[in-house]
Amino acid sequence: MNATQNGWPWKLLLVVILLGTAAGTWGAVSKIDYKWRWYRVPQYFLYHAEDAQKIPFDGTVSVIKKSGKSTTVVLLSETQEQVEVTVDSDELKVSEGESLFEGDTVGFTRQWRLGPLMMGLWTTLWLSAIASVFALVLGLVTGLAKISSNFTLRSLAIIYIECIRGTPLLVQIFIAYFFLGTVFNLSRNVCGVGALALFAGAYVAEIVRAGIQAIPKGQMEAARSLGMTVSQTMIEIILPQAFKKILPPLSGQFISLVKDSSLVSVIAITDLTKSGREIITSTFAPFEIWMVVAAMYLLVTSLLSQIVYYMERRLAVSD
Amino acid sequence: MIKAKDVVKVFHSHGMTIRAVDGVSTEVEKGEVVVVIGPSGSGKSTFLRCINGLDMFDEGHVIIDGVDLADKKTNINKVRAEVGMVFQQFNLFPHKTVLENLTLAQRKVRKRDKKTADEKSRMLLAKVGIPEKADQYPSRLSGGQQQRVAIARALAMDPKVMLFDEPTSALDPEMVGEVLDVMKQLAREGMTMIVVTHEMGFAREVADRVIFMDEGKVVEVGTPEHFFTNPQEERAKLFLKQVL
Ligand SMILES: Nc1ncnc2c1ncn2[C@@H]1O[C@H](COP(=O)(O)OP(=O)(O)OP(=O)(O)O)[C@@H](O)[C@H]1O
Ligand SMILES: [Mg+2]
Repeated sequence: MNATQNGWPWKLLLVVILLGTAAGTWGAVSKIDYKWRWYRVPQYFLYHAEDAQKIPFDGTVSVIKKSGKSTTVVLLSETQEQVEVTVDSDELKVSEGESLFEGDTVGFTRQWRLGPLMMGLWTTLWLSAIASVFALVLGLVTGLAKISSNFTLRSLAIIYIECIRGTPLLVQIFIAYFFLGTVFNLSRNVCGVGALALFAGAYVAEIVRAGIQAIPKGQMEAARSLGMTVSQTMIEIILPQAFKKILPPLSGQFISLVKDSSLVSVIAITDLTKSGREIITSTFAPFEIWMVVAAMYLLVTSLLSQIVYYMERRLAVSD
Repeated sequence: MIKAKDVVKVFHSHGMTIRAVDGVSTEVEKGEVVVVIGPSGSGKSTFLRCINGLDMFDEGHVIIDGVDLADKKTNINKVRAEVGMVFQQFNLFPHKTVLENLTLAQRKVRKRDKKTADEKSRMLLAKVGIPEKADQYPSRLSGGQQQRVAIARALAMDPKVMLFDEPTSALDPEMVGEVLDVMKQLAREGMTMIVVTHEMGFAREVADRVIFMDEGKVVEVGTPEHFFTNPQEERAKLFLKQVL
């Protein structure tokens, strides 16, 4: 009778299974004697950088002006050249009248900087965003070409879609970088974004085609019978309705793109995955870092899902 | 006003050739109401669709107000703006409000400004009896109301002729009357109309002429009295026996 089973026994079972999995993992890890070093992780998000400010010539400290937290030091070279250096007040290492050699430290400045995990995340995000925009345009054009009555357009669309969907993304990235990148002298970022856009574009094209074909023929006929042109009808009538229909699969595709973008790390683009790999070579915390990297991807994809869910609800007003 | 001459439309499907419209000729005068009847698959819809170029015919001529659709130089979009069409399935734009359904083509095709288009639309909605639905989405309307919006949408373009393809066939019986009333009023106002319908009462009351089609051909033409009381052709007699 009960079609959906979500009473408390099932919730309990869920908790037990999850706890069991966690405990099992914990037990297995303790057997191999792995030392967890979670405390090392935060610095890869954000760290307090300390930059040494150095004197560019042999000379003397002529004036020191303190103003609150920062201090300005005026340096005078033997040829009467003047240079001002600003350092943090509590990190001042010189006093007035002192003579220094080129390269000596005048003091330090401290500031918060984003760590490699955040920089990697940023790279992943902009890479995916740019690739998504191109994929959308490419997919729209290809999807329309695939249903056009023109033989050449249709064939080109089919060849493109089949080639992309029939080969692994990793191989496409290698071809884009080692072949196209070398022949046309493209940077690795262009190759990475290009490969991702071409890849996603083929899938978007199929989604767009299916979405357009799902709109009843009567819509096109009604609009044409009012004297509207094909392109007016497409823009005003067909595409808006199709967009609403394809929003769920389309967003799924873009969320996949964020995850697939991790493959560009193989051509040495420092995205989130590559950053993770680099951090692991300098720290001894591979388990922690990979888990954090996974959690960061998960965070981005769930955020995107939420945005799409919100958009769907907004678009549902005419139902 | 409208002249069809030896119109032929051939469909090729699954290796078969169907002459859906097979040499139909007719003339419709300004202000005339012509009702087209015939059994299912006789080519009524296809003929109607040839008149506004939704189906491009293979042979013959359709001349609307002196413009030949068969002429390659004819701008088909211009012709269609002058020919209103009402479909069996309404085909309203579901993502636009009722008012936007009416104003869209006025603005995009007739290039009217928003104020003029809105005024015209509200006037037509009042005319078809649903001024209060202007800001609703079509899905909130009953079938009869949707079809009246569809009629208003076609009228908003100030067409020279209105084509109706079984406008009441998809409606619940209790809503047929409200749509037919709107059509009758249009006929009284002198609109040129070609109507495909199975509503024999409407044909009798409003039609100036009845065309009976079968297998893509015009089998019999006449006034309603002639047609309903004294049909000449065997096939017409048979058809009338079934529907009356
Ligand atoms: N797009 C098409 N492709 C192939 N055959 C078609 C197409 N449209 C119509 N036909 C065929 O043309 C013939 C005439 O169809 P049409 O729809 O004009 O008939 P109708 O008189 O309107 O019938 P109904 O009363 O069922 O609406 C039918 O045999 C139909 O199968
Ligand atoms: Mg029909």
